[in-house]
Amino acid sequence: MTLSNVFTKTTRDRWKGVAIGSLTLSVLFLFGMSVYRDIDLAVYTNLPDAFRSMMNIPKDADVASLAYGAIYGSYGAMTMAGLALAMGAASIAGEERKGTLGLLLGNPRSRTEVLASKTASMVLLTGLGVLLLWAAGIVVPAMLDVSITGMHVGAMIFHLFAMSLFFGFLAMAVGAWTGSPSVASGVAAGVMFISFVAVGLLPLVEGFENAAKAFPWYYFTGSQPVNNGVDWGHIGVLFTSNALLMVVALVGVNRRDIKGQTVGVTLVDRLRGNPMTRKLADRLAGSTRVSRIWIKTASEHQGLLLVTAAVMFLFMGVMLGPMYTLINEALSGLTDQFPEALLALFGGGDMGTPEGWYQIETFGMMAPIAVMVVTVAIGAGALAGEEERRTIGLLLANPVRRSTIVLHKTVAMTLYGVAVGAATFAGVAIGSMLGGLGMDMGNIAATSLLVTLVGLVFGALALGLGAATGRIRVAVFGTVGIALVLYVLNAFLPFNDTLAGYAKWSPFYYYLSSDPLNNGMHWGHGAVLTALTVGLVLSAVVLFERRDLRQSG
Amino acid sequence: MTDRIAIRTEGLTKHYGDIHALVDLDLEIRPGEIFGFLGPNGAGKTTMIRTILDEIRPTSGSASILGMDSHEQSVEIRRFIGYVPGDLAMYPNLTGRDTITYFANLRGGVDWSWVDELADRLDADLTRKVGDLSSGNRQKVGLIQAFMNKPEVLIMDEPSSGLDPLVQREFQTMMREAAAEGRTVFLSSHTLSEVQRVAGRVGIIRHGRLIAVESVSDLRSKAIRKVDLYFDEPVEHAIFESVPGVRDVAVENHHVTLSFDGRMETLLKILTDRYHLLDITTQEADLEEIFLTYYRDEDVPA
Repeated sequence: MTLSNVFTKTTRDRWKGVAIGSLTLSVLFLFGMSVYRDIDLAVYTNLPDAFRSMMNIPKDADVASLAYGAIYGSYGAMTMAGLALAMGAASIAGEERKGTLGLLLGNPRSRTEVLASKTASMVLLTGLGVLLLWAAGIVVPAMLDVSITGMHVGAMIFHLFAMSLFFGFLAMAVGAWTGSPSVASGVAAGVMFISFVAVGLLPLVEGFENAAKAFPWYYFTGSQPVNNGVDWGHIGVLFTSNALLMVVALVGVNRRDIKGQTVGVTLVDRLRGNPMTRKLADRLAGSTRVSRIWIKTASEHQGLLLVTAAVMFLFMGVMLGPMYTLINEALSGLTDQFPEALLALFGGGDMGTPEGWYQIETFGMMAPIAVMVVTVAIGAGALAGEEERRTIGLLLANPVRRSTIVLHKTVAMTLYGVAVGAATFAGVAIGSMLGGLGMDMGNIAATSLLVTLVGLVFGALALGLGAATGRIRVAVFGTVGIALVLYVLNAFLPFNDTLAGYAKWSPFYYYLSSDPLNNGMHWGHGAVLTALTVGLVLSAVVLFERRDLRQSG
Repeated sequence: MTDRIAIRTEGLTKHYGDIHALVDLDLEIRPGEIFGFLGPNGAGKTTMIRTILDEIRPTSGSASILGMDSHEQSVEIRRFIGYVPGDLAMYPNLTGRDTITYFANLRGGVDWSWVDELADRLDADLTRKVGDLSSGNRQKVGLIQAFMNKPEVLIMDEPSSGLDPLVQREFQTMMREAAAEGRTVFLSSHTLSEVQRVAGRVGIIRHGRLIAVESVSDLRSKAIRKVDLYFDEPVEHAIFESVPGVRDVAVENHHVTLSFDGRMETLLKILTDRYHLLDITTQEADLEEIFLTYYRDEDVPA
């Protein structure tokens, strides 16, 4: 029943992303494990339970489980789930938005068959991706002479596979019902993000220990499969959910009117349609929106900005303040017990203080990711997007310089980064007030500013890659790959005395190494990040000015 | 501005690796003319246009528009041109009016009464989102943005695609009006009938080389005619073989059909010396046939 041609085409279109993703993770795993091998693990034996649970570090921590937990447990899982999610969102909704679904269904193939092919391709590629991770998980310890006796690598990978598919099917189902790839990936990514955070935090909150079971991520890590083997109950939950979502997708795609090539409806469009708000919205959406290149660019990613800023403000900011007071008990007195080397991994955060709490929960990983989501989205789409969508021809038929376009796009990108940084600042500031944590507002502002700057560096990198190649994929994957490597370098290098100095080569070093939440703004580091951004934007200008523009996507 | 050559290319060459997309193209287009740029798909028409607009840079040679260098002064040039790209793509989430406003803002304003008149003439709906329009209706928005600033030079790459015949006719009128006002139209097309209707001169391009530039009337006069002859008695086949330029003779008693690209005078003289010619009709071959003839006859290295 599976269409070999739809299946093979989808697989061919997607395999590279999966291969690059899992290879990068394998390399990171090699790197992480070799670092863990060389440090004194005694520091981990004193860790408090609460902290271990949150950071996914098992008791009796050894080199192998630390490496598996750090690399496969968080980035690895997010990458694999993200890849599955992207495939799920693209399967029906993606083809629909591009207007190719009609063509596909013009052939004597049913919608069910098309969906089945897409599903098969998603399952196969996700499977191959995790197999690669599994192979790395076996080969790397052997290479490094690290014992993995008693570790159930296959079990962990199997759980990862099941959970990644969950997000793939979720995106597929939402896409099948809405026909909108952005809604599909937005919903699925939101669920993934919230469940990752919830499963880390909920077990620490008294009275909510079991609430984590409501989130899919729990069925990946909850049973600690790497130590305990496959938990068939948990696997059953995941695969049952997957099957249900697949049925939902099937019903959705068969019931609905297939749209032609369509345009998303934004909030402003809705306001424009409403007689009450038409006048104002017309001005906003119409004449104002198109008055400048940067304003138009900024208007194009409203949804992404809204979601990202809201998540940072509410979940990563406001809510964490009161939560800190709730679980303060579990965290108090940790300060003395924390080994210094470990603190470096999280940017020097100290769970015993509100600053450390916010650093580990919000600023350490989530805030840079959030700022980068918007800056890289705009940076990558800025020039490469206009080229791939072939609108650059018309744009450049007007008397504007190529450099002007680059600069306008940079302005839009900067505004977006600043908006997410400001939302983070506001959220953390309000959270601190609600929880009565008494954090220094100036220091929160400084940290938010630095995270904005580090996000802009990578946005500018995406802009440059897009300017040089005209390809969105190169810009996005290139930037994400480079950022991931630099982030991990900055997190791990300080463990090794001889290599610690090299952390300065990572932009992330200039973000948290000065401990801005406690010490306030480090203007020198801010200047380094600003200079990097300016340099990257200037090279984008030069690269874009020189190049033959592409004709089609 | 009328004293300047509208578009000039000198030895314009563009290679993509081993592919010679454009080879040594020399062209001069005068102000006020409608120039048809003809060639099959993949001949290099779009490459030529994208090169003179500085979207891509020539491997060698140079181009100028209104006397300004296409690379050095590209921004200045774009104040004076209107452009319709081939395979037009616009911002799907903007309405037609938003799109026009956007480009108008980049040009420092537009005469909206003229935009409305153009929209009216082309029967374009500017209130809907471009992404929701059919390709023909989208094309109209593209045409309006090209014409809206009454540019000195209009450069259009396959502009009529998707337009219905009535709108095509109006579009042709618009091009003629522009030319009548001394503005220049550069029209790339493979729809020969369209070029034939509006263009004064045509350039024919194949495999990246310009193989001919001629006025439409010259092309026609060279062209093969289809001739029908009626006599009062049956005629011999052999007599036609001696006439230069005669081809494809079919004799059917009193009625003869043939293709002819020689001097009509010669043909008539030979025939009327021997027979009584009762009636003659001749048909102009259209550019299509001429085009095919060029392509059949010209031996152009790829």
